[in-house]
Amino acid sequence: METARTLRGKAYWRSLDELADTPEFREFLFREFPAGATEMVNSTERRQFLRIMGASLALAGLEMGGCRRWPKETIVPFAHRPEGRVPGMPTYYATAMEQAGVASGLLVTSFDGRPTKIEGNPQHPQNQGATNAFAQASVLELYDPDRSRHVMHRTEGDRRRWDTDKFNAWARKHFDGLVADRGAGLAILAEASSSPSSRPCGRSC
Amino acid sequence: MGRYHYVFPRWSNALVAVLTLSALVAPLYVVFVVAYGFSPETTDRGYQPVQPVPFSHEIHAGQLGLDCRYCHNTVEFAAKAAIPPTQTCFNCHTQIHKDSPKLAPLWESYETGKPVKWIRVHDLPDYAYFNHSAHITRGVSCVECHGRIDKMEVVYQHETLSMGWCLKCHRDPESRIRDPKLVTKLSWGLMFDPASQQWMIDEDLRRSESDYWIDLNQLAPSENCSTCHR
Repeated sequence: METARTLRGKAYWRSLDELADTPEFREFLFREFPAGATEMVNSTERRQFLRIMGASLALAGLEMGGCRRWPKETIVPFAHRPEGRVPGMPTYYATAMEQAGVASGLLVTSFDGRPTKIEGNPQHPQNQGATNAFAQASVLELYDPDRSRHVMHRTEGDRRRWDTDKFNAWARKHFDGLVADRGAGLAILAEASSSPSSRPCGRSC
Repeated sequence: MGRYHYVFPRWSNALVAVLTLSALVAPLYVVFVVAYGFSPETTDRGYQPVQPVPFSHEIHAGQLGLDCRYCHNTVEFAAKAAIPPTQTCFNCHTQIHKDSPKLAPLWESYETGKPVKWIRVHDLPDYAYFNHSAHITRGVSCVECHGRIDKMEVVYQHETLSMGWCLKCHRDPESRIRDPKLVTKLSWGLMFDPASQQWMIDEDLRRSESDYWIDLNQLAPSENCSTCHR
């Protein structure tokens, strides 16, 4: 393999391979198209190729089940449908969103478990049915690909994905000891929130 | 002159005439073939894909007389008539024919929780919205769009479901409306003709019932574009 020390190419180059100017690289340049592609210069060969392409195109149209207007679509229902769940019909969830410490009530439209639209909850005294751009945009937070979907176990210099069984086994062991101490030494890291339900318990808990 | 002078054979005179004629007719023919060949009449009607589970509507809806709504239970209040979940099948099939090899993929779905991948037969494009409940509650029977499902061993698409076909009924429902309570009785509106020993469509009954129900419910099907193109 050529190194930068044995450069033979021109002073201007477009890639390091060109700079190295190896015999393999010159061969690669010469063969602009993959091997076999430039061989079809004979007119009868070309005609034969076009015949085959035309035939395969025609056959590709005749799919099993007939020539259809739309591509094949599958319907994949539940194996066990949860009670009260109607596929395709939206369900509305009343929730709240915190912005700078102030909560605004929201109604989220969800199709088959996929939230699609956020509207304000008209019954909430804070926003009374109104939303701002942040609330509207927050529906995309739910589809953020960087959202963690798994339990992650972090040790010194290592971060590993755990499945829930492994976590449950560890948690059972770990938290048993803390019950006796009333949680002394346990820290839960969470976002800043003005929500009364996530306020850290004082001595009264 | 000499060997560079073209001499056409005599028959090429007739060939010119034939070619001119076919050049005039060919575009029309091509247009006709494409218009018919690519219309929903050709491409959609009769579509009968092979399903992963050999479910027979003829046995269940026909012979056993199960109502359509036993399985497609969302059709009365939702836009989509849902394909039933696997557990609906096992309301009966935990006992009946439970060892049948035809039920093997169903058992697999039931036990693993993986759904059965049915192939959609009646497919509308995504830009068209169709609401089943709006039609069922107003007295449009299943048979008007889906044909005699209770006689189909394997479901096939009976109607084109094209926009023109929908509009035909929307513009003039004539004899396609019935008592909303009878929408799942697919054999309603037929009379037995003793002469030919066949079940014939009883046009008079259908028309009179339809007129009655359209008048009673003041049905005025929408012809507005945004009804379906939302």
